[in-house]
Amino acid sequence: MHQIRYFLAVGRTLNFTQAADECHVSQPSLSRAIIKLEEELGGDLFRRERGLTHLTDLGRMMQPLLQQTYDTATSAKTLASSYRKGGTAPLRLALSNTVDLRLLIEPLSSLIEGMPGLELKFFRGTAGQVAEQIKGGESELGIAGPLEADWERFKSWTLFHGTFHLLVHKSHRLASQKSIALKDLAGERLLGRPYCEVADRFAALLAANGIEQSSGDMLASDTDALELINANVGVGVMPATTRCGSNLSSIPIEGIDLDFPTLLYSVHGRQHSPAAAGLIQLVRAANWRQIIDSLKSVDAAAA
Amino acid sequence: MPDQSIAKALELSATRCRQMDAPLVDRLKAFADDVAALSPEFAAIVERMIGVLRKAGVGEHAPQPGEPMPSFVLPDQDGHLVGLHDFLGKDQVVLSFHRGGWCPYCRINAEALARIEPEVRARRGRVVVITPDVEQFNAELRADTRATFPVLTDLDNAFAMELSLAFKVPEEKRQAMTSAGWDIASSQNSDAWILPIPATFVIGTDGIVKSRFLDPDYRKRMTTEDIVAALE
Repeated sequence: MHQIRYFLAVGRTLNFTQAADECHVSQPSLSRAIIKLEEELGGDLFRRERGLTHLTDLGRMMQPLLQQTYDTATSAKTLASSYRKGGTAPLRLALSNTVDLRLLIEPLSSLIEGMPGLELKFFRGTAGQVAEQIKGGESELGIAGPLEADWERFKSWTLFHGTFHLLVHKSHRLASQKSIALKDLAGERLLGRPYCEVADRFAALLAANGIEQSSGDMLASDTDALELINANVGVGVMPATTRCGSNLSSIPIEGIDLDFPTLLYSVHGRQHSPAAAGLIQLVRAANWRQIIDSLKSVDAAAA
Repeated sequence: MPDQSIAKALELSATRCRQMDAPLVDRLKAFADDVAALSPEFAAIVERMIGVLRKAGVGEHAPQPGEPMPSFVLPDQDGHLVGLHDFLGKDQVVLSFHRGGWCPYCRINAEALARIEPEVRARRGRVVVITPDVEQFNAELRADTRATFPVLTDLDNAFAMELSLAFKVPEEKRQAMTSAGWDIASSQNSDAWILPIPATFVIGTDGIVKSRFLDPDYRKRMTTEDIVAALE
């Protein structure tokens, strides 16, 4: 692991002397370690040109991979140090309004089981607000659809992909259809979800298909949308994993691409709390297909 | 383009070798022999890679007998966190690093570990397997080998890297593996193409390593006899 630390230091500073200082080792030690790593990788990682140190193509390719491994290892050590101990810092997690907490219950439960007394500090907002929370450091991690914010310090991992369904009251004319087409939405009271990461994309799709929205409803959460649909006020295009009770039908929409990813966000270079470190491991490793399938069967059984 | 005929043949051989009623070491050798016979080219690439790893001393700095095993906390195949701490003071641990369920040698190895689990438990031991694969694939490996031990996800090979067990798969090996149908990028959910050399550590209830086996030649594994003996 020290080989990687030294490599990352040289890659960052492009200066062997400075890197050795940073790593608190002698330059010959550092150079020897780099040579060993180069032997193992089968190529040079650095080259000298006009007195300056540069990364080779191999070095440039390995840098993000080894940085990731190193970051995960650092994070993992933090997690291990607090495992099964109390008194750990709270988990500060920002969630987009479109992320159903049901999806995260398993990883959160596992985390709490491993860190007795762990407190949860959640933030809910739009994707943009989630981005600001993380940037400002109020939340350590975020889970959301694609963030428009193109901040270079964001680190993200795609956790799973989902699609949207049409949710209607069981008495609605479309309720018993196996699937619908976009044009079936014409004239429907489509509840607006401006907080959704996919809202603009969806609006563009409707416009492109000549479907005018018959109402200007603007809601603030999926919970609110569900209550209205439950009362047969309007219909909603919502994530397919949304729990719909026995009063509602969730219908796939054919012929359009409404695939959207859910991602985990953190920040390059920031140290994680043990809880954040744990949650990152759990959500990145999770068997999302199984989590989503089991939610679907729970819903099907309840219906 | 995946070489379908070789991939298929290797798959059949792997199944046959897994089901052989023979000691672990013989089943591993049988598969290795089949690979060499089916594709001398692939076998040559394997030999070259092992040579490079040996020369680079991969695994040399992993914990030795008498040294403590560094602590770890990793998710198991069902998403529960499992840590070394869970066993200390209670059970000895047979900690086995595998490449992943896609690897025929690892499947044979995992099955052998599943078979000796009763003996391990009788000696106050627990088997724990670690792979860089995400939970979905570890769950498949576990179900497939009918193991009852946990199979943990070592994301980004971070823990393997800490133990000096990890290496980057050389380009020619990567191409050969992809052709043979072994795409570790999807099972690890990472493009890094990093793997651990297989290693087994027998750890006492005090967290100190009692015995270890590791070999850059991934076709070689700690024998089940040696594992059981180390638990005494």
